[in-house]
Amino acid sequence: MQPPAEHVHWLFATGFLLVALCLLAEALAGPEAWRRRRWRTYLWPGLIFFGGLLMWPVMTFYTNSAIHMLAHGSWAQVMMLAGGAQLALASGKLQSRWWQLTVPLALIVSGSASLIHESNGWLYSRAAFVHHVCGWTVIVGALFPLGRTIRPRSLSFSTGYALTFLIVAVVLFTARDAAPIFGHYSDAVVPHR
Amino acid sequence: MTRVAVLVALVALAVPGAAWAHASLVGASPDFRQRIERTPARVVLRFDQPVKAFGNSIAVYTAAGKVVSRTAGPGADAFHVQVPLRALRTGAYTVRWHALSADGHVVSGVYTFGVRVAAPPPTEAYGASGPTRSEHVVRWLYFLALSLLVGGLGFRLLILRGPAPAALERRFYIAAGLGVLGLLEVGILAFLLRAEDALQLPFGRLLYGDLSPIARGTRFGSAFVAMTLGFAAVGALVFFAWLTGRRAFLWVAFLLAAAFSSGLSLSGHSGVDAGSSWVSQTADWIHLTAASLWVGGLIQLALVVWPTAPELRRPAFFAFARLAPVLIAVLLGAGVYLSVLRLPQLSDLWSAGYGRVLLVKLSLVCLALAWGGAHHVLVRPRLAAGRGGGVRGSLLGEGAVAMSVLLAAAVLVDSNPPVPDSRSQPAEPAQIAQRP
Repeated sequence: MQPPAEHVHWLFATGFLLVALCLLAEALAGPEAWRRRRWRTYLWPGLIFFGGLLMWPVMTFYTNSAIHMLAHGSWAQVMMLAGGAQLALASGKLQSRWWQLTVPLALIVSGSASLIHESNGWLYSRAAFVHHVCGWTVIVGALFPLGRTIRPRSLSFSTGYALTFLIVAVVLFTARDAAPIFGHYSDAVVPHR
Repeated sequence: MTRVAVLVALVALAVPGAAWAHASLVGASPDFRQRIERTPARVVLRFDQPVKAFGNSIAVYTAAGKVVSRTAGPGADAFHVQVPLRALRTGAYTVRWHALSADGHVVSGVYTFGVRVAAPPPTEAYGASGPTRSEHVVRWLYFLALSLLVGGLGFRLLILRGPAPAALERRFYIAAGLGVLGLLEVGILAFLLRAEDALQLPFGRLLYGDLSPIARGTRFGSAFVAMTLGFAAVGALVFFAWLTGRRAFLWVAFLLAAAFSSGLSLSGHSGVDAGSSWVSQTADWIHLTAASLWVGGLIQLALVVWPTAPELRRPAFFAFARLAPVLIAVLLGAGVYLSVLRLPQLSDLWSAGYGRVLLVKLSLVCLALAWGGAHHVLVRPRLAAGRGGGVRGSLLGEGAVAMSVLLAAAVLVDSNPPVPDSRSQPAEPAQIAQRP
């Protein structure tokens, strides 16, 4: 007995919303204030790592097509990589700031996987729209953590980074297994009785 | 203006309705791997969204490849596709289907059912050709990754128990991480190769092939699911062990990795073939674990301890030399039992293909044992005297032979042992697939 795919999307949307709120709080309060409690520094990296771990059951249990399996597998791996690297940076186990680049890498891979595994146009259906919005948001959003690697104290980059996750969360919350987009159905999906 | 556009987009997204991604098969009659007593009049497939059926959307084959279906067409509604059948005799049947999904993708799949007999797994459907050379290599890589992980963790916990230099720790975690990564990636590749063979589809169409019957309708698929989830958890535990420096995580990772490696034993010859039982499955798992600890230990000695910690070379070598005979004894004991089980007659060793591969494997094992014996007799005294030149190269040599044993084992696992007449009923159909 599997939950509907939309429920799984909402679960991950909740996770991304929490990540976005943490990042936004860090951006607005400033890194020093945010890191005054040590556990806070592990919060959003831990959420991303744990999200990656949770993506594996999605990959193995939703096998109704190979391309879905591969896309979810790639998300699981890059989320664990990025979350793990951030956890290690927070703990001091990793020192080089270039490990920050695992986040833009993860975003680019995730966005590409989202776009590749959706071959329909933007307005084909709700699911297609969600895939396109998430894919492009995440690819463009990769610029923010990239900028943050070079200018760690930039408010713009930090806020943009948080908003990237916020947009993904909002869009994922709108995902439905069966829904039109802007009231539009593709002719191909209308039942032909 | 921008705000209005964003608002409109959000409102539009919030309105529920009905449209789809590509179609998924949600029901079939006869069902996946169902055993039925009476000939069905037709095969009916039900999808979760409307699909377009073609005349050849469903083809039903006998075990010999004869087509017993007529022209396919739409069923009761656009969600159904059906095909009338000719009268079916007792036997196993393969259903290959494809339909045009609403999103324009051709979705495809395969499953089996049996008329008055148990249905074979979909990996043995008509048209599937069985493991290829690519699968031998993939399985070998899987064994190597398992050795890196299980053997590496075992070495660190049982041989090198105390604190270690930072360089050694770093290499150890890189090796264990590579092991986890290899198990996950190679596992996915192995699953896709097996699915490709069962579905008999070119890569482009395989991307939209329904893998559910293989993932949940076969022991191989169940093992893939369990092992992927298990090794992902092991990867997280190894990461936390590195991050926090707590050995407890490594112990849990080691025990979990060893436990989940049993998926290979439960889905291989020892779990599926005639004569298999919990004893053969346990023996196979012990055989596999001992081999992983042996090969992984050699890799750790040669590539982790020797280059990074000269002061630990001697104690590590001596401790491994104490454990190795136990591993070899267990390995040989379980291996001999399994060989006798699968090859009841001695002549099978040279008359059957499986037996010939086993002979090659045994020869390589003998070579590895001789190499290990030489280490015991020649290297130990030299190390005890404080001279260790050339030992690393020799360890790498023994490791290379051990890896070639794993290659022979990979070919052996993918080969079919001879089936004695008295035990000709396969055990695999006894466990019937769950409906995805």
